[in-house]
Amino acid sequence: MARIYVSSVIGAPASRVWERVRDFNGLPRWHPRIRDSRIEDALPADKIGCVRHFHLQNGELVRERLLGLSDYDLFCTYSILESPMPLTDYVATLRLTPITDGERCFIEWSAEFECEPDQEGDLVSGISGGVFQAGFDALKRHFGG
Amino acid sequence: MVKVLQSTIIEAPVEAVWGVIRDFNGHDRWHPAVASSSIERRRSSDEVGCVRRFRLGDGSELREQLLTLSDLEQTFSYCLLDTPVPLLNYVAHVRLAPVTDGNLTFWEWESRFDTPDGMQDSLAAMVRDDIYLAGFNAIRSHMGLEA
Repeated sequence: MARIYVSSVIGAPASRVWERVRDFNGLPRWHPRIRDSRIEDALPADKIGCVRHFHLQNGELVRERLLGLSDYDLFCTYSILESPMPLTDYVATLRLTPITDGERCFIEWSAEFECEPDQEGDLVSGISGGVFQAGFDALKRHFGG
Repeated sequence: MVKVLQSTIIEAPVEAVWGVIRDFNGHDRWHPAVASSSIERRRSSDEVGCVRRFRLGDGSELREQLLTLSDLEQTFSYCLLDTPVPLLNYVAHVRLAPVTDGNLTFWEWESRFDTPDGMQDSLAAMVRDDIYLAGFNAIRSHMGLEA
């Protein structure tokens, strides 16, 4: 089991950052790696079990299923159904936590998955840097870091 | 039931902050509210279930029991057994987490308790300001960081 954990501080209250990242169909609006996105079967983007069908900037297709979403605890959990990456059993969680002594919040993005041992290093660095940290950097550019 | 939750960012790696606050018998070394601390029955301070006895600056005493301690999650929780102020059914949780892109530490300290009608606001403010916020700032000065 490979594990990834990346975290950061975003310079805006958790409620405002949550507005930006909550939409399971909204990746193209905030994440620079994502070109377009739609929800399959015309389901609402906050219906647990819905599938987002999106393309990376290089045209590769990824499909992910929404497993959990909480407007109270501010987290979103999802799994990968289909992707160009050589991995299986991928489950990830994006979570926000308020920082009470300032106009900022704590953001954590974690994942677990299975893969061939000789590919784990590349997958971990690619996802943690190219997807998770790249998303945090985009939020910091938008809100301040 | 009153709930108090405070969180902050400490400008130091999580291992360094955990190294200071992990010791359930060490809060007298950094927290201004605690004059002295000891563990009852000669138990180890990382033995879940141990009881610490605090003497406060005004000479009053309180007793708290360690309920959980995790070096993996960098968390601990404890409850009040005896207290000079009416904090009833008081259970507190402390959690640290690394900020991986800045070598900083996220620190959350929260509790729930019951207290007589009319005292909720003043005791919540006391716990928030005199215990949690004062503790955050005391760690900063203990570790030589800017407040």
